[in-house]
Amino acid sequence: MYDRNVVRRRRAALAVFVALSIAILTAYFGESGGGFFHAFQRGAQEAFAPIETGASRALKPVRDLFGWAGDTFDAKDENKDLKREVERLRTALADAQTAQRDATQLKGLVGLKEGEGFPRGTEPVTARVIARSPNVWYSSIQIDKGSSDGVKADQPVLAAGSDPDAGEVGGLAGKVTSVRSGSAQVTLITDASIGVAAQVMPSGATGVVRPAVGNPRDLLMEFVEGGRVTENTTVATSGFTIDKGQSLFPRGIPIGRVSDVNLDEVEIYQRIHLEPYADLRSIDIVQVLTRRPRGAQTAGVILP
Amino acid sequence: MILSPGALLRVGLLLLLAVVLQLSGLSQLSILPGHIDLVVLAVAAVAYYGGSVSGCATGFAAGFLLDLTSGATMGVSSLVLTAVGYGVGRFREIRDPSHGLLPLAVGAAATGGFVVAFAAVSFMLDVGASVSPLVIRDAIVTTLLNALLALPVFTGARKLLRPVLKVDPLEVRRRRRPPRETGPLGLRGLEV
Repeated sequence: MYDRNVVRRRRAALAVFVALSIAILTAYFGESGGGFFHAFQRGAQEAFAPIETGASRALKPVRDLFGWAGDTFDAKDENKDLKREVERLRTALADAQTAQRDATQLKGLVGLKEGEGFPRGTEPVTARVIARSPNVWYSSIQIDKGSSDGVKADQPVLAAGSDPDAGEVGGLAGKVTSVRSGSAQVTLITDASIGVAAQVMPSGATGVVRPAVGNPRDLLMEFVEGGRVTENTTVATSGFTIDKGQSLFPRGIPIGRVSDVNLDEVEIYQRIHLEPYADLRSIDIVQVLTRRPRGAQTAGVILP
Repeated sequence: MILSPGALLRVGLLLLLAVVLQLSGLSQLSILPGHIDLVVLAVAAVAYYGGSVSGCATGFAAGFLLDLTSGATMGVSSLVLTAVGYGVGRFREIRDPSHGLLPLAVGAAATGGFVVAFAAVSFMLDVGASVSPLVIRDAIVTTLLNALLALPVFTGARKLLRPVLKVDPLEVRRRRRPPRETGPLGLRGLEV
């Protein structure tokens, strides 16, 4: 039955919630990083961090098991004892895979730090990823180290590559954007808001590395100038400042390998494609460079 | 849905669980080239069983909580999930569906609507970076995965919300069984 009051209430509810959302969105964009909503968000993240840490640790074996579950599909018809044995082995395997995966990533990060050209004098703090942004438009992670571990906003973050044994040791993953006492938020280099001043080695061509939103294996180096770029060469942070007052990435942190140089694209858009060294699709462990090398040149980030 | 402290507690619990699972587990679980979006399904389930007003209120709350804890721009998820919750709730009120497999379609439609609307809002907020065509593949895979997961999520949500629902779609379906064609003449054609 058509009831005018019900219709009115329904429309009013929709209007109120849409208006509230738009008001929050407008206020969030309008205020500075120290405004009410930003502070509220930091407080909420700090409050949620222990829950997320616990949930992340509890769910890690499930995540690791998920990829492995397909291989155990054929074990269905085995008898009870064997199933029990499989169950025990499955848990053990998940633990082993977790340890192996962590070890691989840590090995990559160590290899990265020992590489030639890597900025000396930095003090890396190793952290575990406890939460990840749920969509491709905001590419960020939360880590379990915060201000009490020496982590500060705008510090560079590194992640391991997919296969350190094959030389994929890793590279720049992003920057710290907000810090609580026991956790921090890291905006990845695949986030739409980020841009890193970079240089192709050894040609010396410079440009700004930006993401191709939705494809974590593809980065774009834009405004390329100052030298000829060939495929498979390394791109690292240049240490140049590209925005006033911003100083984030020290010179020499590897970002990626030039994967595609299309002459038309270079001429029209001054743009080349990179494949990031850091495996940004599955990061479990990262390193935050908490100390800036003395006298290092710095690079800036394009703000959203 | 009957507005009561019990109802608020149940919906709040459902949203909290969905957001924590989403951020700490499902977002890091890459299946094919996509991921499951549990929060959208939770909002769609509440809207499906509770109606449009409950749907948009739940959508707003879920989006607010998600933006707050994930560090994304506040207000974006709230806006989109409010619309998704209202849309699913209105569908339920207008069409009064009761088929047991309908959550599959509702889950897929809600997820599809969410990813498209989220992309549109993100574009309107002036995303400065290039966008890869792989975003479309990611959206399609997420929609399909959510469609597969919709049935258990809707079943769980129904069990949780049943004590505070005014109308349960499955009860409605039970009442709609065809009338008896046999028995005493006076009772034929009647629901007895």
